[in-house]
Amino acid sequence: MQRIGSAADVDSQEFRRNDLHNRQLAAELKERQRLARFDRPEKDIERLRRQNKLFVRNRIAALLDPETPFLELSTLAANKAYNGEVPGAAQVVGIGIVAGREVIVHADDSSVKSGAWYPLSVKKIVRALDIAIENRLPVVHLCDCAGGFLPLQAEFFADRYHAGRILRNQSILSRMGVPQVAIVMGQCTAAGAYVPALSEYNIVVEGTGAIFLGGPPVVKAATGEQVSAQELGGALMHTSVSGTSDYFATSELHAIAIARNVVARFHQPAKTCIDRVAPEPPAYDASELYGIIPEDARAQFDMREIIARLVDGSRFDEYQPRYATSLVCGFARLYGYQVGIVANNGVLFGDSALKGAHFIQICDKNRTPLLFLQNVTGFMVGREYERRGITKDGAKLIMTVSSASVPKFTIICNSSHGAGTYAMSGRAFDPRFVFSWPNSQISAMGAEQAAGVLTHVKARQLARNGGRLSEQELAGIREPVLEEYRERSSAYYATSELWDDGILDPVDTRTALAIALSASLNAPIDAPQYGVFRM
Amino acid sequence: MYHSFEVDGVDHTLWLSASRHGYRLHLRDEVIAPVAFTERSDSSGILTIAGQSEPVRFVIDGELIHLHIRGRTRTLRYIDPLGAYAAGNDGTCPLVARAPMPGRVVAITVSPGDSVSAGTALMMIESMKLETIIRSPQDGIVERIHVKENESFEHDAVLVTLSKEGF
Amino acid sequence: MPQLPFDTVLIANRGEIAARIVKTLRKLGLRSAVAYHEIDARTPAVSMADLAIQISGNTPIASYLDTRQIIAAADQARAGALHPGYGLLSENAEFARAVTDTGIAFIGPLPDTIELMGDKIRARNFVQSNGFPVTPCVIEEDDPATFASRAQAMGAPLLVKPSAGGGGKGMRIVRDLNTLEAAIEQARSEAGRYFGDARLYAERHLEYPRHIEVQVLGDRLGNVVHLYERECSVQRRFQKIIEETPSPALSQELRARICDTAVRIARAANYRNAGTVEFLLSGDDFYFLEMNTRLQVEHPVTEMITGVDLVAEQIYAAAGRELAFSQSDIVSNGHAIELRLYAEAPERGYAPTTGKVLLLEYPNDVRIDSGIMQGQHITPAFDPMLAKIIVHSPSRMESVLKAHRAVRELVLLGCETNANLLARIVSDEAFLGGHFHVGYLEQNPHLAAGNFSAGMSAFLASAALLTRPVRDSADAVPELHSALGNWRN
Repeated sequence: MQRIGSAADVDSQEFRRNDLHNRQLAAELKERQRLARFDRPEKDIERLRRQNKLFVRNRIAALLDPETPFLELSTLAANKAYNGEVPGAAQVVGIGIVAGREVIVHADDSSVKSGAWYPLSVKKIVRALDIAIENRLPVVHLCDCAGGFLPLQAEFFADRYHAGRILRNQSILSRMGVPQVAIVMGQCTAAGAYVPALSEYNIVVEGTGAIFLGGPPVVKAATGEQVSAQELGGALMHTSVSGTSDYFATSELHAIAIARNVVARFHQPAKTCIDRVAPEPPAYDASELYGIIPEDARAQFDMREIIARLVDGSRFDEYQPRYATSLVCGFARLYGYQVGIVANNGVLFGDSALKGAHFIQICDKNRTPLLFLQNVTGFMVGREYERRGITKDGAKLIMTVSSASVPKFTIICNSSHGAGTYAMSGRAFDPRFVFSWPNSQISAMGAEQAAGVLTHVKARQLARNGGRLSEQELAGIREPVLEEYRERSSAYYATSELWDDGILDPVDTRTALAIALSASLNAPIDAPQYGVFRM
Repeated sequence: MYHSFEVDGVDHTLWLSASRHGYRLHLRDEVIAPVAFTERSDSSGILTIAGQSEPVRFVIDGELIHLHIRGRTRTLRYIDPLGAYAAGNDGTCPLVARAPMPGRVVAITVSPGDSVSAGTALMMIESMKLETIIRSPQDGIVERIHVKENESFEHDAVLVTLSKEGF
Repeated sequence: MPQLPFDTVLIANRGEIAARIVKTLRKLGLRSAVAYHEIDARTPAVSMADLAIQISGNTPIASYLDTRQIIAAADQARAGALHPGYGLLSENAEFARAVTDTGIAFIGPLPDTIELMGDKIRARNFVQSNGFPVTPCVIEEDDPATFASRAQAMGAPLLVKPSAGGGGKGMRIVRDLNTLEAAIEQARSEAGRYFGDARLYAERHLEYPRHIEVQVLGDRLGNVVHLYERECSVQRRFQKIIEETPSPALSQELRARICDTAVRIARAANYRNAGTVEFLLSGDDFYFLEMNTRLQVEHPVTEMITGVDLVAEQIYAAAGRELAFSQSDIVSNGHAIELRLYAEAPERGYAPTTGKVLLLEYPNDVRIDSGIMQGQHITPAFDPMLAKIIVHSPSRMESVLKAHRAVRELVLLGCETNANLLARIVSDEAFLGGHFHVGYLEQNPHLAAGNFSAGMSAFLASAALLTRPVRDSADAVPELHSALGNWRN
């Protein structure tokens, strides 16, 4: 395999300007993540202390094997929602190692609104369990939730992907033979009560943990019966009377020790075997990514420069290097695993779509996982291209992306717009994981373009009523539209809404992908199978 | 959750991780790599640590690991997290006076039912040619005396159980 | 040489000394018999002896102190002689008489000599009246009512001791006269329990003298020789830990003077077996401390430098033979050190330790007098001494190096010992230079404390690698995740 010869000039003005800009973006990301993880009102920390509860981060630290990685997902979920008052959507989700097993950790963060479930909390939990299902990862639930946030129940209760989906997904996991263990570290009420109940194993912490469908106030209101939480559904009752729980723990750490012991006994099916050799670091330093990603999102850059800083030895075996050059395809290795890379080097044309569709089928037949690196403004438009059938060629690409059986991973490196978002394995196409870079933008069309269209529409409405707008008035309409559009196509908005699995500092991408790739191989890869290609 | 070994009453947390060459040992404030152990017989082996080889004699007796390295002997106790965390937080544990060292009972100065305060002499023991007085750790009532005069006991044996007044 | 008048010897002792006596009996072609308590069934002496006879009692120690059972065992073994070893009944004149009365030869001095030297006050008076130096002293029974005030008048520091005592039992140092009364009470209580004799005396306590003792050997015909001195100053709580000979503290002239004094004391006492005269040495002055009418624990160092088997000489003396050598035949050759291995934790105030001997390996090229074997339980029932390591080399420095190597090579797993302390002492500068005294360990507490964390990582590494859950958890982590380590995004 040939090594990519980087053309980046690290001493150039442009490189240094980009570097400064992207390092600032990375620093901003780290700061926002730090706040979402640790910044809590003193009264909430004090409450945990009073309740003899550990902070969720400490619980997870104790749960995980020391000296192993933890890939946290959707750290900034809900960062643009609920006035920013529900950091992380009051949930911590990630892939970690417990007793040597790759597991999904799902933890309620009771330092945020007592761990209450908001609509985006439910979305994050459902997504965590979808990941568990797609990748057959066992789940450890750390339950400490005050119940659903009732004022917003309409947004998380009744629909297909609302809270019921959590319980449905748990059941599906169990049916698939993927085990779960729940530690009850707080009160699990109503639907929350079923989380431990639907886990193969559950452990209740004496004194703080309790499971019941209706808590003491509900019981009192319904039947007048006066009963304490521990009496109603505490560790002793459930482990010795009802049989709802399996293990009685005297402390949170005791419960975690039991859970680790339980996970150590999980059956470990052999992972899917794909082509793998000994790993090799890239020949170029990952931190050079900061100088390559352009400060101006519209500026073009060569995606091979990115690939050179992600893959083993910076070696890349390019497929059809001379044909349809706006889509770069080729083979590389990531921590030794062979992957097929599909990356944008400009707008998608009909031939780019054909090249991509062919390459994806090769990878699918070859059991080679796919990595999509997005920087796409969409498909080319115009009479000439329509006449050549760009839509039917685009459909071929979308068909292969939708149908490929190998695991897919998508990184939104810069722009992600229009049908390009879809054809490059966007969220809707079930890649195993989607990650964004902090500079990235995702929307139906670019912000400038969209603002132009929207301003034009508005101007036309006014014109119909006989008005005519001055340049100043047009700008007055355009600016707020542009501002809102930018806000809603930012990486922070996307991650707030769980359109991705989290924003990555670009230098972390290689490792995050390795962890994701390894996790994905817990599920078998089906034989390739496709629908009807429009020829 | 780290592993823990107790040596002379002090807990040492550590973690071992595999690497391409042997293992890495993660201690509280340092990482030593590579480390490896080759067993030569049931009770001897070679420890390789940071490039040096040390002959080790060892006996594993349950949770106790007895080691002889470079002329020094130490006994380390592996702390099973399940047991260790379960034992903590037990508020119902009765008050007891334990033997600070192995020895023999010389004279018992209290009887069951006696009310004692912290510091009251409970018994005199003899160990290492010296007499030592076992005193009550707290205020309470003598519930049970576990040894008789002239009886020998081991280190940490429960000598007297006390109960708290009003319990 | 005429045949010995007995062919079987009963050993009324246990541990390393019983095993050591068996070795000489074998060498002399005599049958060995040991009386043992059940708890000692799995010890070297019992497995080595030609005959082992079980005795019993309320406590293990009580059985070894039961004169009736011991004599019955000697009868049963048809023993013509009895060796009492050290400690236990070895300095009990009544026992020696009872043995002699049954027609069994007691391997030791005459009961009257035991009696004389066994009573520390009588012994002091005897020595003083024969013109030898003793430390100032007040004796309780001279006037019990004024004992405390007379002791007080002598001034601090002083030492309160049981008249019938030995081996440091019941001794109390008083540096603050306010604590004198309490020390007297405690010493009295311990004396009563250990020796059945609560009488006390108090003597001037020399701060930091050396403990020098002289091995003597006498026969029925009144011949007395010395076998040079032993330096026994490395002590803790009056318990010797390391002994050596020659003493690094003695000039030729002083050595000759102290050895000669010992011979004259023994001769005055009509001494007819192996015995030891103990002195305290302060500067160039020495004072009689006491005389031990038995074999000493530390006798092997004397054997190493003189080539004399002291147990054999004891047996010959008891058989009435004349000494086979004169003073000029006894030559001191090289230097010998004995290290006492105790079941105790110097790091925790010398607290006794217990356990099962799971692995026992002794170093090569040195003499080991061992009272333990693999599989044996170390209990608190007896004195905590387990074994002695004795080295012999041409010079003191070579001996010290050899001792250091030997104690580090010794492997005893399953019961904590003082081996680390021994290794620290023999590599300590003061010890190497020969500059020490009876307060040496007390003044250098770092020796007992040890370096807590030294080399800890090697122990933790070995323990980690030998503990299945630790190793399993390392092996369980996928290679990729191990390589990534503690990565966070």
